[in-house]
Amino acid sequence: MATEASRQPVSWFRGFYAAGVVPWVGRGLVVLLFIWLGVNLSKTPGDFGILLVEGVTLGLVYGLVALGYSLVYGILELINFAHGDVFMLGSWMSLYIGVQKLGLDASSSGFKVVWGLALTLVCAMAFCGLLNASIERVAYRPLRNAPRLAPLITAIGMSFILQDVGLKQLGSAPVSLPNILPTGTVFTIGGNKYGWDHLIVGLSALPVLALLVWLVQRTRQGRGMRATAQDQEAAAMMGINVNGTIWFTFMIAGALAGVAGLLYALYSTNIAYDQGFTLGLIAFTSAVLGGIGNLPGAVLGAILIGLIQQFNEGLSWHAPGSDWTQSIVFAILILILVFRPEGLLGERTPEGG
Amino acid sequence: MPETGKIVDEVRDPWYRRWAGLPGEWKRRYRGLDDRQRFQVGVVIRALVVIGLIFIGWPLALLVAVLFAVPYALAYVPKPWNRFNKFVIPTIVLVIAVTYPFVYSGAGVRLEGRTLNLLGAYPTLGTMVIMGVYAMMAVGLNIVVGYAGLLDLGYVAFYAMGSYTAAWFASIQFAHRNIHFGAVGVGPNTPGIHISIWILLLLAGIFTAIIGVLIGLPTLRLRGDYLAIVTLGFGEILPQVARNGDNLGGFNLTNGPNGITPIDPPGFGNLNFLTGSGTFWTTERLYFWGVLVLVIITVFCSLRLRDSRLGRAWIAIREDETAAAAMGIPLMRTKTWAYATGAFFGGVAGAYFASFKQATFPGDFSFNISAFILSMVILGGMGNVWGVVLGASFLAFLNQQGLADIGHSFNNTFGTSLDVPKYQFGIYGIIIVATMLLRPEGLIPSARRKAEFHEGVADTPLYDVQA
Amino acid sequence: MSRRFWLGTLVGVTAALALLAAGCGGGRGKSSKGVTALPSSSCSDIYYQGGGNADYLIASDLPLQGSGRTQTVQMTEAIKFVLKQHNFKAGKYKVGYQSCDDATAQAGKWASEKCSANANAYAQNKSVVGVIGTFNSGCAEIVIPVLNRAPGGPVGMVSPANTYVGLTHGGPGTAAGEPDKYYPTGKRNYIRIVAADDFQGAADALNAQQLGLKKVYILNDKEAYGQGVATDFKNSLTQLGITVAGFAAWNGKASTYTGLATKIKATGADSVFLGGLICENGGKVVKDLRSVLGKSVTLLAPDGFTPISAVVSGAGASAEGMYVSVAGQPNENLPANGKTFVKDFGATQKGGSVDPYSSYAAQATEVLLTAIANSDGTRTGITDQLLKTKVTNGILGNFTINANGDTSANPVTMYLIKGGKQTTYKTITPPQSLVGKA
Repeated sequence: MATEASRQPVSWFRGFYAAGVVPWVGRGLVVLLFIWLGVNLSKTPGDFGILLVEGVTLGLVYGLVALGYSLVYGILELINFAHGDVFMLGSWMSLYIGVQKLGLDASSSGFKVVWGLALTLVCAMAFCGLLNASIERVAYRPLRNAPRLAPLITAIGMSFILQDVGLKQLGSAPVSLPNILPTGTVFTIGGNKYGWDHLIVGLSALPVLALLVWLVQRTRQGRGMRATAQDQEAAAMMGINVNGTIWFTFMIAGALAGVAGLLYALYSTNIAYDQGFTLGLIAFTSAVLGGIGNLPGAVLGAILIGLIQQFNEGLSWHAPGSDWTQSIVFAILILILVFRPEGLLGERTPEGG
Repeated sequence: MPETGKIVDEVRDPWYRRWAGLPGEWKRRYRGLDDRQRFQVGVVIRALVVIGLIFIGWPLALLVAVLFAVPYALAYVPKPWNRFNKFVIPTIVLVIAVTYPFVYSGAGVRLEGRTLNLLGAYPTLGTMVIMGVYAMMAVGLNIVVGYAGLLDLGYVAFYAMGSYTAAWFASIQFAHRNIHFGAVGVGPNTPGIHISIWILLLLAGIFTAIIGVLIGLPTLRLRGDYLAIVTLGFGEILPQVARNGDNLGGFNLTNGPNGITPIDPPGFGNLNFLTGSGTFWTTERLYFWGVLVLVIITVFCSLRLRDSRLGRAWIAIREDETAAAAMGIPLMRTKTWAYATGAFFGGVAGAYFASFKQATFPGDFSFNISAFILSMVILGGMGNVWGVVLGASFLAFLNQQGLADIGHSFNNTFGTSLDVPKYQFGIYGIIIVATMLLRPEGLIPSARRKAEFHEGVADTPLYDVQA
Repeated sequence: MSRRFWLGTLVGVTAALALLAAGCGGGRGKSSKGVTALPSSSCSDIYYQGGGNADYLIASDLPLQGSGRTQTVQMTEAIKFVLKQHNFKAGKYKVGYQSCDDATAQAGKWASEKCSANANAYAQNKSVVGVIGTFNSGCAEIVIPVLNRAPGGPVGMVSPANTYVGLTHGGPGTAAGEPDKYYPTGKRNYIRIVAADDFQGAADALNAQQLGLKKVYILNDKEAYGQGVATDFKNSLTQLGITVAGFAAWNGKASTYTGLATKIKATGADSVFLGGLICENGGKVVKDLRSVLGKSVTLLAPDGFTPISAVVSGAGASAEGMYVSVAGQPNENLPANGKTFVKDFGATQKGGSVDPYSSYAAQATEVLLTAIANSDGTRTGITDQLLKTKVTNGILGNFTINANGDTSANPVTMYLIKGGKQTTYKTITPPQSLVGKA
């Protein structure tokens, strides 16, 4: 935050912040939240348990999308609005290859499912990776030196274009996929079943995260990405191919979106042309919640959002209900940005995140 | 290795690179011209455009020719009268706009006896009203985004607030009260609050400005991207509150998804905008002239604000916050004023629109509208009021009528059966991307913005090292 | 390739296209001299194949985009079929037809500015004397008042599909001031030939009672139609003494409904009512309800969940055993003239299947043409005749329209999804006593 001239009177607003009231209000809200959760847990433990597990699964799916946002933001400080729609096209590609071309459905044998899904995964990742990288090359690179607003607005325009492609391919109503993953029960909590398909999807997200963290922390390319994220000019001076690194980052983010698209299609068995927008906002909220630029933070934030969504809709004691889910997610985003802009796992910087 | 007996050609670019290089060659030569030669080139190009337009329709060609000729004529105006030069073209456009209802009939412009083929039809008066409303909203957003540089993606919240304010105070929503004040078209026994729409426009603007301040407060410390997301969040929360608003602790605030209908029309004494009076003051003309007056007031306010101390503070913040603060500009207060002013105009536009549609539904408001208004501001030229009005009118026309008509013309001409309005948002996306890539300063840029945008973009970065 | 090159190419291509389009004609559709066509941005070309020029126009206002497109497009075909059968004449008047769209591709359903623009177009166009529509009640709320105050008298509107109660009569579940607020001049100009939601809600409640359901959880999609029919159903259930386990909404944009389903399970409900439209992610809701609640729970839905093929494709095997109610008779129960229509019209359609709404659209056309034939040709005259409609041996049988614009025949058919197909289960006509208090 910029400093003001010393003879400026301290406005009540700054006084509010300066008095340290804000952190206490924030802590108070968190305490209230835990009290509410605790009451619900004591009233309906079975429900609470299944909602917890379902929330984590949903959160892991959101997390895969959030990782892409976090990656791109980390390196370019650009909110890639089109990322959610790349994810939607990844789901469409899964539908196209997996269901329409390969004919996977609920009755396919295990062997066919495994090979079919592997092939679909490769196709989706390649398609989305190339798409994302091309978007970067065509739309964002020429604007690398333009004022901050320009690539952001271009991203919105790209998002519209991709949504329209999705509209043409999928139609305006949601499209249903068959249950390719087995739907048997893994375990039950208080009479509520938890299915294999959710478990598989949830577990698949973890190796992806591990792989990504390994890529960023341990490999040479990853080092290049981190260096470019820190300071583009210095990285160039050290001999890193900045354009190539950024291109590579977008490619990886796109591949991630492809994986997320496939997993989402398997998890939800229902894809719509505007899911990119909705999920993109949720994913970005998660990324901010966890600390933008921080990869495990993005997943953590996503898990929290998933939990909040499930608890909101499923608990019975004073739960606002599914009418208010979207507002609650955005309200959380706003509250986080007011009370703790660096997110849960981020570091506080002078500009406030 | 050259084959024996063959003459080796000089090294030349392939044909596609040579053709692609032509515009660059022209640009180089244009740069080499002196002022007089440039003037001549400009005249020739403009003349060619007018001749080309004659094939489409002679009224359009005539209009464009007049608009081109005016700056040339104005160059001869002597010194003391020079100050009014910049108002000439807007005045001409205004005169055309005011007289448009007289030359427009349901089947197209009567002036020439055949309809304009390019766009299929001229805009109907109803479409013109919608164009005017969107122009007002775009000017409002221009204050926030264009002047102050705060990317606001939730402008639809202000539109919604304005609409619902008009709905609350000019309908039977609060039927347990019975307050009448200057309303037209409603009997004295009609339940609910009915205040004159003209007063309501002001009231809606003020309410929305207050909401704008509240929305702005959390964002004051944030950087551009976060600000965009937070405003987007508010833009999603408010319509959801409107949708769930029929049961806020038992109180019916917004009547939920059924919306509030009907909303009273504006009027003066005996003249009710909905019924009109006679053949001259038809309902469409009344609404159209009403919105024209509002647009003129909005543009006037925006211009005066731009040239005021507050406006200059906004521009300073847009350019460099730290430097602005160092010069003594109170950052928070200035940003808050930007939100408040932008919200004010959005609220007025929303209230008038609600009165025009006589209804307001929560389904009317979505992020798409915020993005739509943003694309108008970008296309028109961020910071330039005239450009923004032009961009808004054009895009609103496309949305309501133009795309469908172009689609029909296209299908009739080429025998295809494309459903053009289906690709509406793709087309807007392409417009946004193309504008940002090719002409980010917009259709009618301000000189300052043009320099700003081209400053960094065309520079080759120092470090393009191929590893 | 430099920026300027692309800019130049863009300008060049646009200019070329413009000149092409300019040079080769285009513009609005062909109109027969005699009637002014409605704008081509919303409406089709005029359909008139009679002799000479048409005297008047009728228009249909339906959502021609989105998942219900197949239904509504067939409805327009049915209207054309009936018009052609009458040889484009209503009494001594020659009538042409234009089909208008009140939906946008973006939303996949009706949009309020389109409804408003269409309504103004109908009102201002002197050739238009009657409108068949709308399909969605929310759109009707906008269109009816505009038509009511049209210059030259209120323009009559016949709806084959609107079910929201407040459009024609008041009662519980309607807002204050309804229905009078839709008729600013005080004269009625709107009739409908389907039963209103209070009848559908009552019939659904009776069905629930007859199925032996004890505790019903009611969901709605937070849209005008969905919330209305859910409220009517709730009121009827309370009348019959069946417990309402809860009343909640589902969000059409959510990715999963397992949380909601868990909450429903916790209440111990034995059935769930889905008051809303299938295109609001209804398929996913059904899937998740089934997977969490299991097969023992009965699912009920009103006619927002049609076409039933969309339910089956959207929910797959989960839709098995679901009951869907539709206001009106199924095609196989129509009287003689109705069956003839289904046979003859079906022959013109690909696949031979006739959607029930097409029969309703056809009956609406018959009603409108009769009113025009019996009138003096003015808008007021035609509207008066509409409200005096008395149909004998029509496609839907015998019925009259009362002063409110409601029909006297109010059967509601329950369909059961069995084996992935739509089967007719039973038809219920609820008694006025249950409906009156709904």
